[in-house]
Amino acid sequence: MSGIEHTEAPVAAALDRMILLLMLVILAAILSAAMVLQYAFGEIPRPLCLLQRFAMFGCCFGIARQLRSGTCERGTGISLIFTILLLVVSVRQTLLDLFPRPGHEYVGSAIFGIHMPVWSVFIAAGLLLGFAIRLALFGGLNSAPEMGSTLRRFAQGVVIYVVFICAINFLSVVVQCGMGECHTSGYQLLP
Amino acid sequence: MMAAVYATLLIAFILDLSGLRRSAVTCLFLSLALCVWLFLWEIYSPDYGFRMPWLQAEVAPTFALLWSS
Repeated sequence: MSGIEHTEAPVAAALDRMILLLMLVILAAILSAAMVLQYAFGEIPRPLCLLQRFAMFGCCFGIARQLRSGTCERGTGISLIFTILLLVVSVRQTLLDLFPRPGHEYVGSAIFGIHMPVWSVFIAAGLLLGFAIRLALFGGLNSAPEMGSTLRRFAQGVVIYVVFICAINFLSVVVQCGMGECHTSGYQLLP
Repeated sequence: MMAAVYATLLIAFILDLSGLRRSAVTCLFLSLALCVWLFLWEIYSPDYGFRMPWLQAEVAPTFALLWSS
């Protein structure tokens, strides 16, 4: 019995790390896609869209922390807090634009017929599901082994990429909003 | 204000990468507090408060009967 546990534990721990890494990569891809829509297609984000991006970055922070930690689930807790924030903000924005009225139409392009705030609701639900599945399958491992060097370097690369796009988003927010209120009519600091 | 939210988030990431984990988490929760405050400020309307009057819910006839009895 103990032999089986010894052989299964490292595989389970590796799968646990793979799920976390996959979630981080998916979030980084979503944030990159949002930036492509903003810079390449000229879709200026609304304040609530920026708060949803912020919540996704917070989730990335928690996942990155959890990837490094093998002794506690604090990173998962941080990610869950930001996932709930993402869900609250995106549901509110979805309800805000639910019935088209002057100044409150769904803005921006739809992807597969679904607008961005609704996608954010799906993303938040997906993240909650991902964390739930991870905890249900692996039960919050307390002694996850070190990742392989290739995987560790890849994870570190993804984390640095997330920090890099966070820096770009910060600069973008400064250009769009300045130090005051955000507007979707244009970039405040650009002529 | 949005700039402050993102600035504190970026500082949290940089502190975390630098190995200052406790300061990073403190900074992250500071940015979270700013974000919640900004969210409440964004959705507050002087006319409606936090309500959403464009969402009209009607009581279905069955429940209306139950409630009246």
